[in-house]
Parts: sequence; structure tokens; C-alpha cells
Amino acid sequence: MSGVLIWAVDALVVLGLVVMTLGVVGVYRMPDAYTKLHAQSKAVALGVICLLVAAMLRGESLTALRGLLVAAFLLATAPVAAHVVARAAWRAGEPMKGERVIDESGPVPEPDAPER
Amino acid sequence: MHGLVLDLAVLWIAGLLAASVALVARRSSAAVRILSLDTLVLVLVGLLAVFAADRRETYYLDAALVLALVAFAATLAAARYYDESRPS
Repeated sequence: MSGVLIWAVDALVVLGLVVMTLGVVGVYRMPDAYTKLHAQSKAVALGVICLLVAAMLRGESLTALRGLLVAAFLLATAPVAAHVVARAAWRAGEPMKGERVIDESGPVPEPDAPER
Repeated sequence: MHGLVLDLAVLWIAGLLAASVALVARRSSAAVRILSLDTLVLVLVGLLAVFAADRRETYYLDAALVLALVAFAATLAAARYYDESRPS
């Protein structure tokens, strides 16, 4: 394994840890569920992908393919999960907190409305 | 040196894992708990990725893939349940 690659693995691991830590801190500190979702779905998922790229660089070709699969899966599912949670929270009347928040999405539709 | 970085990374992720468990256990609304649970499992996937890098094994990534799949399904199911259990 060449020297540059070893340092690249270390740098990617540290970068992924920093981004993941920022994401977890964001889930702690953000005021309501919608802003917590920003930290969770973007920061934590991208930190995990950094760690996966580190594992891909370290291992053999089989490891690289598996890591690519997991990273692609995370990239595909993290936005979907965040959207589903945000939609459920909004329909359940989860409040938005903050000084100048405004909800421009209108009233929640009736439960039996055929909009799905 | 490089092994030390990965060992410290495992320790650090263990700390993040404890923080995520505290997030799930904290008194908050159901939506926040659902997304905290998703955070917990994502941190666990990161731990498995660091293990795969540390020991140069492929099989940890298989477990990570299954864990990500289960986390996605669990988030969908929990959010759906939360959506339909609201007072109308």
C-alpha cells in the first residue's frame, strides 16, 4: 500500500468523524424536529460515507465494491427517510420553534382525503 | 501511527454511540425520537465501516449494508405509524 493512500485513509477517517460529530451535536442542539432532520440526514449520512470511502481505500477490490454498495444505498435512502419523517411530523402537528418561523404549507389535509 | 488513528476512531464512535442512545432516551416528541433512532443506526454503520478499515475484512460491510437496510425499513414503518396515529 502506497504512502499517500495510508494518509488519505487517516484523513478520511478523521473527516468522517468530525462531520458525524457535528451531525450528532446538531441533533442535540437544533430547536425542533425539522431542523434536527437537517443535521441528521445530511451531516451524519455524509460522515458515514467518508468512513466507508476510507474502508474502500484500505481494503481489496471486494471491499471496495461492498463499500460502494453501502454508500450508494445510504445516498439513496437518507433523503427518503428524512422526507418521510418530516412529512409525518408536519401532518401530526409538530410545532416549529424559533423566533421568526413561518409555515407556508397551508392547513394539514383531512385524514381521509384521497391525496396519497 | 495509522493503527492508532483507527483505534481512536473506534473509541470516538463509541462515544458518539452513547450520545445517540442518550438522544433516543431523552424525553422528546415522537418525530425527534424516530430521527434519533436513525442517527443511532447510522453511527453504528460508521462503526462497522471503521472496523472494516481497521481489520481489512469485507464482512463488516455486509453487516453494515443489512443494518442500513433495516434502519431504513424501521424509519419508514415508525414514521408511517406516527403519521396514522395522530389525533384527527
